Amino acid sequence: MNRNYLFLTILMLVLAIGTFFINKDDEFKNQIKPEALLQAITQPSRYVTTDQVAKRIIEKDPTLELIDVRLPSEYNKFTLSDAINVPLKDILTDEGQNNLGIEDMNVVFFSNDDIMADQAWVISKRLGYKNIYVLKGGLNCWIETIINPVIPDESAPGTEFDTYHFRKAASLYFTGGDNTAQPSTATKAKVKVRRKKKEKAASGGC
Amino acid sequence: MHVHERNPKRTLITILLFALIIVFGWVTMKKPRFKYTLTPQQTVDMVINHGGCFHPYELEKVLNNKEGDVVLIDIRNNFDYAKGHIPGSLNITAANLLSEENIKQLDEWKKNNVKVVFYHDNQLQANGAWMLFRQIGYSNTFVLLGGYQYYALHKNNLKQSEGSCLKGKAKYDFAAVAKKRNAASGEGSSVKPAKKVKVRRKKKEKAASGGC
Repeated sequence: MNRNYLFLTILMLVLAIGTFFINKDDEFKNQIKPEALLQAITQPSRYVTTDQVAKRIIEKDPTLELIDVRLPSEYNKFTLSDAINVPLKDILTDEGQNNLGIEDMNVVFFSNDDIMADQAWVISKRLGYKNIYVLKGGLNCWIETIINPVIPDESAPGTEFDTYHFRKAASLYFTGGDNTAQPSTATKAKVKVRRKKKEKAASGGC
Repeated sequence: MHVHERNPKRTLITILLFALIIVFGWVTMKKPRFKYTLTPQQTVDMVINHGGCFHPYELEKVLNNKEGDVVLIDIRNNFDYAKGHIPGSLNITAANLLSEENIKQLDEWKKNNVKVVFYHDNQLQANGAWMLFRQIGYSNTFVLLGGYQYYALHKNNLKQSEGSCLKGKAKYDFAAVAKKRNAASGEGSSVKPAKKVKVRRKKKEKAASGGC
């Protein structure tokens, strides 16, 4: 009779452990369902424009995290201010994963255009990361809009001129900072700090 | 305890009932409709190696019926599809791709080794849908490089024009473009870049004070 209870207990334990293993797919626990992934894919809200990113960089938004998914060789030649290099092929390594999923950070992927960044986005989204975005047009668009903005047509609406003036100012901002402080992030930060002071002085004079 | 001794079958009945409940639960358990068949790492490898791309020159063969077993799926909305699409393509809006009816159709194509090519206005907009289908086991899906926009521009010579549909390349030498501006607006001396920055900043301030 005591044996019967023992037998039942063992049976229950075996089944409980069995059910524990049923839903264990692989090491990525936060994966979202394919249906949810498609739903996310069809939303264009993951795309951010170069203007939005430029504005945030200039405003020194602390929640902005730029991730360059290109090769290190390309990254070393040119990248956006304070961008981190996580090549697409290394996105699943520990080092790559450590850069994702930081609380309160908005991650923006970018590449030469937007295909590779979008691929990085789809994979990260599947893994369940939130607050991730893609820079629409990538660095090609960055050069075309921010670094070398085109003067809008005379008949263009006023908002386009506003955009143009913003871009023109941003262009001056970036061609000053980015280039001179290429070697290390430390010097980059220094240049920025200096600029801030100057701006203050100007507004005071006004 | 004594009760059990008198009814030794009780334990057996309990076990049977228990097993029955387990089996019932097992049978009625909701199975997920889709499962990822590619691991994230396999997905990364696939996109790194540019797998699953369908080039516009291949499209030319399909349109001239030289190559069978290819289905083109226009995943734009009905309105865009009505305005113009690649001849012979079917319209399934991206959001409806996983509906039961469409999955049945896709399963059939997969069974018969039919290539399924997704396209949108450009490659970017079809990229997500294509990657999703690859990840849930539809290894017969492809993405049209250049998308409909490329097709609309080059429909008469799909064979020749090739380069502009390939994405991922830098259009400019980024560092040089940024540097050029630097030199043009600077004083011309290339001794200390830090000094240059200062000069340009002054100019900016002038413009600001003018607006004031």
